[in-house]
Amino acid sequence: MKRRILMLLTIAAGALLQQFLPTWPIFGGMKPPILAAMALHYALRRNNKDMWLAVFVAAIMQDSLDLGAYGPALLAFPIMGLLANRIRNEVFSDGLVSQLCFGAIIGLFTAFITLLLYTVTGQRPFHFGLSVIRLFSAFWLGMTTLPLVSYAISRMEAALPKRRGYGWQ
Amino acid sequence: MVLRNKKIIYAAAIGLALIVVFVPFPSLTLKGKGAVRGVMAPAERGASSLWQRLSEATAAVRGIGGAVEKSRELSHELVRMQSELNRLRDVENDNIRLQRVLDFKEASSHDMIPCDVVSRNISGWWNTVRIGKGLKAGIQENRAVISPDGLVGRTTEVAAQTSEVLLLSDPACRVSAKLGRINVFGLVRGTGSTLKGHPKARMEFINKDAEVKVGDEVVTSGLSSAGGEFPKGVHIGYVEKVYRDKSGLFQYAEIIPRATVGLLDYVFVVSEAGKEAK
Repeated sequence: MKRRILMLLTIAAGALLQQFLPTWPIFGGMKPPILAAMALHYALRRNNKDMWLAVFVAAIMQDSLDLGAYGPALLAFPIMGLLANRIRNEVFSDGLVSQLCFGAIIGLFTAFITLLLYTVTGQRPFHFGLSVIRLFSAFWLGMTTLPLVSYAISRMEAALPKRRGYGWQ
Repeated sequence: MVLRNKKIIYAAAIGLALIVVFVPFPSLTLKGKGAVRGVMAPAERGASSLWQRLSEATAAVRGIGGAVEKSRELSHELVRMQSELNRLRDVENDNIRLQRVLDFKEASSHDMIPCDVVSRNISGWWNTVRIGKGLKAGIQENRAVISPDGLVGRTTEVAAQTSEVLLLSDPACRVSAKLGRINVFGLVRGTGSTLKGHPKARMEFINKDAEVKVGDEVVTSGLSSAGGEFPKGVHIGYVEKVYRDKSGLFQYAEIIPRATVGLLDYVFVVSEAGKEAK
């Protein structure tokens, strides 16, 4: 129970950090996908229940704190979590190369789903050049964000007192 | 049996997610978002306040600490003065018109609600900021948001404690405007930002015969924008380039909005009382 509360608090802190980070025009205004990286981190390391909890809380937070209708994160994160949870025994989650690859994929995937939904529902006007910049930016930002987020969470959990019942060892 | 139950649960979860994504429930969406934003609001305010204090402390260390508070007060005063000036300009114009027409509508001053910017947009897909006041403070949707430099944007998705401000640079933000020098109307729409982070906007549907010049001032027209009430004469920016529409029916102008808003800034929301008395 305690580790779940810690997980939820970490996700909330991640949402706060993602909001406070500035946007860079060179990346098409995209932000580092911290919440997506957190959802993937937990999906690769926790059991099924924790994965669903992390994925839905992260998705609801992202969509609630963003403008427009619910959807982009609520659609992308569960698919991402489900796939990651399926292959977690076949990949080395702590390897840097795996994390770089996963990071790039989640960045690109969430950006693509968001772009698709916004375009289909008419919430955002479609602009080809800007869309390409955003997809590339999401790719790079995801690639750099996941290893950092994963490392930070692992260090934080390692620094906590090792007592029975916490279960984050 | 367990496997079948699992499949049913997955199917139900996916079905629910698809309904939420593709079937719009505006009021339910707003309530859900309001609840999450309400929970996050104290943390956002705390983090924003902490950041602000750190910035002010840094400024104080640099020897200009007293100037921070003073600058804030002066900026508040400047906005009030600019608003008053805009109102007086309108009154003057009305007086001129009154000499010709006897039907006169009295212009009222705009009440403004000062708000702190508490956070930025989470995804970067929208050009928005969140302010720390909402319905409880009397803020409503589609109200003008101004800063000492001019129009910042308009309010949208107003929750009990917070409101989203759609910035002028966002393509979804459209404001009815006019060119101050020649009194020609048009529609200002955001076009993103430059590589240096400055907002960009475009004024569209300008009469093809109007003599628009580079450097002309663009101000709000006071006409209803997206169902909201905007005050007249609020500065938006200056014309940078003028083009003729491909059809030849209109002109459009690239404009440089003056108002930029950062995380530690404060803005003013024009309240309901800002409507013109009839």
